[in-house]
Amino acid sequence: MGTDAVVMGAGTAGMVAALRLAAAGASVLVLAEGEGGLPLAPAQIDVLGYRPQLVLDPLGELGGFLESRPDHPYRLVEAAEVEASLDWFLELAAPLGYTGSPRLNRLQPTALGALRPTCLVPQTMAAGDLRGGGSVLVVGLKGFRDFHAPLLAENLALARPPSGAEVRARAVEVSLLGDPRDLRPQLLVRRLEERPVLAELGREIRSRLEQEDLVGVPAVLGLERSHEVWQRLQELVGRPVFEIPTAPPSQPGQRLQQHLFRALRRLGGEVRLGARASGYRARGDRLAAVKVVTAAREVEIPAARFVLATGGIGTGGITAGPEGELREEVFGARVSRGGAPEEPLLEYLATQPLDRLGVEVDDEQRPLGGGGGVLFENLWAAGAALAGAEPWREKSGEGISLATGYRAARLAGGARP
Amino acid sequence: MTTLDTDVLVIGGGSTGAGVAWDSALRGLHVTLVDRQDFATGTSGRFHGLLHSGGRYAVKDPGSARECAAENRILRQVAADCIEDTGGLFVSTPEDDLEYADRFLAAARGAGMEVEEVPVGAALRDEPRLNPRIRRAFRVQDGSIDSWKMISALLRGAQAHGATVLPYHKVVKVIRQEDRVEGAVMEDQRTGEEVRVNAGCVVNAAGAWSGQVAELAGCEVGVRPGKGVMVAINHRLARAVLNRCHRPSDGDIIVPVRTVSVIGTTDHPVADPDDTECSPEEVHQMMEAGELLVPGFRESRALRVWSGSRPLLPRTQGSAGVGDREVSRSHTVLDHGARDGVEGLVTIAGGKFTTLRLMAEDTVDVVVRKLGRGAECRTRSEVLPGSESHHFYWIGNRQQEAEADPPDDPLICECELVSRHDLDTVVARRPNWRLDDIRRALRVGMGPCQGGFCAFRVAGMLHQDGRYGRAEANSALREFVQERWKGVKVISWGAQARQTRLDRWIFEGVYDLEHLPE
Repeated sequence: MGTDAVVMGAGTAGMVAALRLAAAGASVLVLAEGEGGLPLAPAQIDVLGYRPQLVLDPLGELGGFLESRPDHPYRLVEAAEVEASLDWFLELAAPLGYTGSPRLNRLQPTALGALRPTCLVPQTMAAGDLRGGGSVLVVGLKGFRDFHAPLLAENLALARPPSGAEVRARAVEVSLLGDPRDLRPQLLVRRLEERPVLAELGREIRSRLEQEDLVGVPAVLGLERSHEVWQRLQELVGRPVFEIPTAPPSQPGQRLQQHLFRALRRLGGEVRLGARASGYRARGDRLAAVKVVTAAREVEIPAARFVLATGGIGTGGITAGPEGELREEVFGARVSRGGAPEEPLLEYLATQPLDRLGVEVDDEQRPLGGGGGVLFENLWAAGAALAGAEPWREKSGEGISLATGYRAARLAGGARP
Repeated sequence: MTTLDTDVLVIGGGSTGAGVAWDSALRGLHVTLVDRQDFATGTSGRFHGLLHSGGRYAVKDPGSARECAAENRILRQVAADCIEDTGGLFVSTPEDDLEYADRFLAAARGAGMEVEEVPVGAALRDEPRLNPRIRRAFRVQDGSIDSWKMISALLRGAQAHGATVLPYHKVVKVIRQEDRVEGAVMEDQRTGEEVRVNAGCVVNAAGAWSGQVAELAGCEVGVRPGKGVMVAINHRLARAVLNRCHRPSDGDIIVPVRTVSVIGTTDHPVADPDDTECSPEEVHQMMEAGELLVPGFRESRALRVWSGSRPLLPRTQGSAGVGDREVSRSHTVLDHGARDGVEGLVTIAGGKFTTLRLMAEDTVDVVVRKLGRGAECRTRSEVLPGSESHHFYWIGNRQQEAEADPPDDPLICECELVSRHDLDTVVARRPNWRLDDIRRALRVGMGPCQGGFCAFRVAGMLHQDGRYGRAEANSALREFVQERWKGVKVISWGAQARQTRLDRWIFEGVYDLEHLPE
């Protein structure tokens, strides 16, 4: 009867916390209103990419970064624990072939052809690290709206990694069998899981290859059978092939999400989607239960420990009202702008008022209430719900989620004492 | 420097200038029209989209009301494709004086408007979101008009009759020989090249900017830019245009336009018509004002905010053209020959979108008199390109077209249902498209995502087609994202704040726009 731990939010931070708690023997229930950011995300694990200059060694430069950004959520986690969380993730995500190190940023092309720093990538993207330069054939699929190989290749050819090595890139566009147009990624992954379609694509790419030693393709190489699709395509093409993430929805993100959901189920945990935490019941300084609105009624879910991983404004964990009022939706925890300006700046690519928004926490990641004290002894926050980060600009989102989710689970302890 | 000779040089590619170009071209005159930016980027592209029935002016400005009522009828005949026949309601909210409603009805009839009082219950049945506490309701012939489509149709029509149109050509010099204006020199804002246009007559149709243009000719035009703020809400809150039946004030009109509803507006004098900044307070004011017409308005999802500058002309302005008009929202043709002793220059000042045709007619009448040639005005009956079938557009048009499209024509903008074929058709019309120009032509980037998904697609496609070089595509995308930010940055609440985060994730997180090579 009952649950040891309730995690609110099924994104990276929530799933990491849930998996760690479950691995420690707790019974875990993940409640989430929607699917969160995971199926939208490129599924590359960023730790720290820009501070604002390019970061080469994320773990090594974390201390220096925190000196300029003392309110950043990384302040909460020792570098050793950040590293431990990434090592753990590499092991967990081994079936997806995640590779990389938090001590070294890889430089992977984006769909626009920028070289983007990130730490860990799935096997299907591994060959796309262009730190040491390389010659890439960028393959576009005719009719796919979210990938434009010529622009990507031309931008990429101008990218200069710090090594000074040269990046060369050339674009080709190929048609899938039958030239299906208006291709969406959801459809493409299915098509490419069909062997004849994949074989035709492989032959076509091979015939277009010149001197290139790498082949970059949009990240649509299958969903359930991505490893097989990727491997088979490499064999057909005869060169290392890597995926380049595209706009949401993200197929690599969905692969990772499915993997994490399955891993939790194997540990006896449960993910309940469409279950929005709408309130709570407290007992003294402890949280006794969260309330969830289901189709018919509001139900109470009691537990011994709780993790808040509902994210920020982007995922609805925090809402902003027309009068500028900011609200953490479940507990009304104290929300901070994390040092961002109050008024919007004209320049889009600058730190804007909502960019660093999140809940305030104590050193133990426990959300604070309006009065400044800890809200509940047994509630911990993790991931994008925490104030102070600009995950997309600084390329830090997954690292923060991994490290703080991992730590939240440790602080919350395992099974019910 | 290229030199062109023309009968009429029109400065300003808004509704007024485009109307003058169409009118002149139909009268057999050679027209050259220039604008410092794309067409419809000034006030015409920055209003609420209301095709006035005249009701707004009925009580305090009967001359304007009469003009609106008459012009509304004509535009429905000649420009149906640019108009949605939404109809309009004037309603007395609990805060509005019932006695005003009586005056309104009498004045509207006096102005020749089609107006009928409808029972409150019937109005509420037609418009379920309308404030149930309204006390009277009047049905009028308001509509919504797509300014970009309208101006594009006028210009295409003019071009079909030999007109030359030059977007991004800013007037840097008005050529004046003693007491006579003989043309102007324009600088191409994209290439820096200069073009000289020798003209029999120059028409200053720069609206709120006409003072700046007149100054180049050594004349003064006392136009006072009046800034009005508008907010677009992400869906249609009403079928008809909703107006408060009271003395016109701020935030008392809600116009259903295309996929959105627009609430407007305010009126603040500004020194510079390019001052289009909107404050959070102004947005807040609009959201609150909407409550009176549609309860719960403040909870609706605001997509974007913008402002435009009305070209207001104080009543004291002297005029020798069409004669003084009594009222401020009407228009005046200023013949600088009679007024300032500077021949060859005519300024059309004041006015409003709904009366653009009449403004053009009055202006070109003066031009024809000065040139000593040119035929009678034909714009009352000449149908604009695209409107030949006399079908009004309706909100389902694009869906209907998309369903009829061949399956190999992909959508590039889901919010506004724009297909690849639509894009190809528009960009074939002329060279040098900015993404923002394409937005005005097709509404790409005007929906809820504000370009988050489609901007990259369009830039990539135009690059692939050879219309953009690499650096051009990058800067087009940067510029577009920056431009879109202008209109959402003060809407930092609710679902649009959430959308803004997603867009930022895409541009910074997925594409890393910030670290793209120049």
